Amino acid sequence: MNENTEISLKHGTSNRSISKIALCFVLGMASIITLYPLIWMLYTSLKSNKDISMSTFALPTTLHFENYANAWKQANIGTYFINSIIVSVTAIIFTVFIGAAAAFILSKFRFSMQKGVYSIFIVGMLIPLQSILVPLFIQMRTLRLLDSLWSLILTYTAFGLPITIFIMESFMRAFPDEILEASIIDGSPIYKMFLKIILPMTKPAIASVVILNFLNNWKEFSFALIFISVEQKKTLPLGLYNFLGAETSNYAGLMAALVISSIPVIAIYLLLQKQVIDGMTAGAVKG
Amino acid sequence: MDIIRKNVKYIIAGLLPALLIYFIFVLYPIVRSFIYGFYDWNGLSEPIYTGLNNFKIILTDEVFWQSFKNNIFIVLFSIFGQVPIGLILAVILSRNIKGAGFFRTAFFIPMMLSTVVVGLLWSTILNSQVGIINSILEAIGLEELTQNWLGDPKLAMLSICAVIVWQCFGYYMIIFLAAIQNIPEEILEAADIDGAGELKKLTNIILPMLWPTVMTAVVLCISGSMRSFDLVFVMTGGGPANATELMATYMYNKTFAIYQYGYGSAVSLVISVISFGLIIISRSLMSRNLSD
Repeated sequence: MNENTEISLKHGTSNRSISKIALCFVLGMASIITLYPLIWMLYTSLKSNKDISMSTFALPTTLHFENYANAWKQANIGTYFINSIIVSVTAIIFTVFIGAAAAFILSKFRFSMQKGVYSIFIVGMLIPLQSILVPLFIQMRTLRLLDSLWSLILTYTAFGLPITIFIMESFMRAFPDEILEASIIDGSPIYKMFLKIILPMTKPAIASVVILNFLNNWKEFSFALIFISVEQKKTLPLGLYNFLGAETSNYAGLMAALVISSIPVIAIYLLLQKQVIDGMTAGAVKG
Repeated sequence: MDIIRKNVKYIIAGLLPALLIYFIFVLYPIVRSFIYGFYDWNGLSEPIYTGLNNFKIILTDEVFWQSFKNNIFIVLFSIFGQVPIGLILAVILSRNIKGAGFFRTAFFIPMMLSTVVVGLLWSTILNSQVGIINSILEAIGLEELTQNWLGDPKLAMLSICAVIVWQCFGYYMIIFLAAIQNIPEEILEAADIDGAGELKKLTNIILPMLWPTVMTAVVLCISGSMRSFDLVFVMTGGGPANATELMATYMYNKTFAIYQYGYGSAVSLVISVISFGLIIISRSLMSRNLSD
């Protein structure tokens, strides 16, 4: 408010309203370009393929909810959806427990090579996925894990560790060292203290780590593409990729499938916007 | 106290699971890929050591250089597309205008979608029959501008880059917004007292203070573009006629379509070296700019 009055004092009203119109125009255009494709995806998913070929713009005349039912059942989206849930959630549970234990040791214990171990994990944030695709495929083949959801669960766990340890270690470092002393006095074993005191205290960090890893795992495509080839084990991104090949011009069905796979991430985003954005930019702000 | 803090048993028990899984699925494979790069191997038979031969073939393969050029094109398009757009929108939204929250929320949504969803959505939008882009052009009487956006080798790369900007500009906007909010109020107030206009404040205070963030954004553009695979793989598969081939799709096609694991490993080694090299070069260039 203050700022605006000051501008008008300096530049007069006409100048101010021109710049205001320009700003509105820029923001309006940017919003249309960003949102219209998504809105189009939503209403196209409710049209019939005949309607789509007659006019791409027109809103649906009757709502074809059966597109969703067909995508879920006939196009296997239901199976992919459940696989994606299993893989994402299992990998998160592993990442959080394993990562929290490592972060706890790295932040509160003292040993030689401590810095080195920490750096090894952090460097993982910079590793381009491509440098690992081929050897990891061979590794999975050796371990006989191809076409098993475990190949994805273990890979996502390993790839989630660097950012998880980074976030949790810096959070736990702020805890007072007396926490450890309390455990000696109590005489309770350290793993009990870790589960009952440390983990609950780390809740905010766990929340961002869980969200971040869920989004990464949910969206991941490259590893799924090379590890999984059987229909019953495909995750959503991989299943969607095959959708077009299988049903060439079923655009209504495709849009329904895209909407189904986007609902969880959009819901998480709208409900937990602050944590989502903080988590996704945590790596970037660090550089 | 120290008895606990230096207890080797606890340290090992806490670190071992993380180290083990990280070593088996990240570090060890990287080391192996270094080694495979020097072998001729189809994944089944005994690998044959061929020295630098794979690298020679890569560096003389025209398709590889085409894909390298395309990667660089994406890097430049990102640096001069997403970064300025994100910066402009961040500056606008930082001025406490009405509805800033809505715009911030909206612009970040594409970033939430998986690249496969974005790729399939935009393949449909750019589709020359049912796509909305051509329909819009027809509706406003610009039929001669309708194109086969992904099928024309001259346009395909441009279309892909536009989709990347659509998906990512919100991310850069958020990074810049956070940086702008970190600029101390007092500095801007002092500028007000000195009678600096909005434009002056922008060019003399806000932009210089954002420079480190711009640098981070450029590095993110480079590492992101070097990694890009999903979008191109879904939208064009590297076609038409290698027009959109990237180093990563090149590697995928060489490795998994025709089973040249040794060669594919060598390509991934080259990608890693190139992207680290680019990041180091851009960092040193931009920090020199800063001290000028």
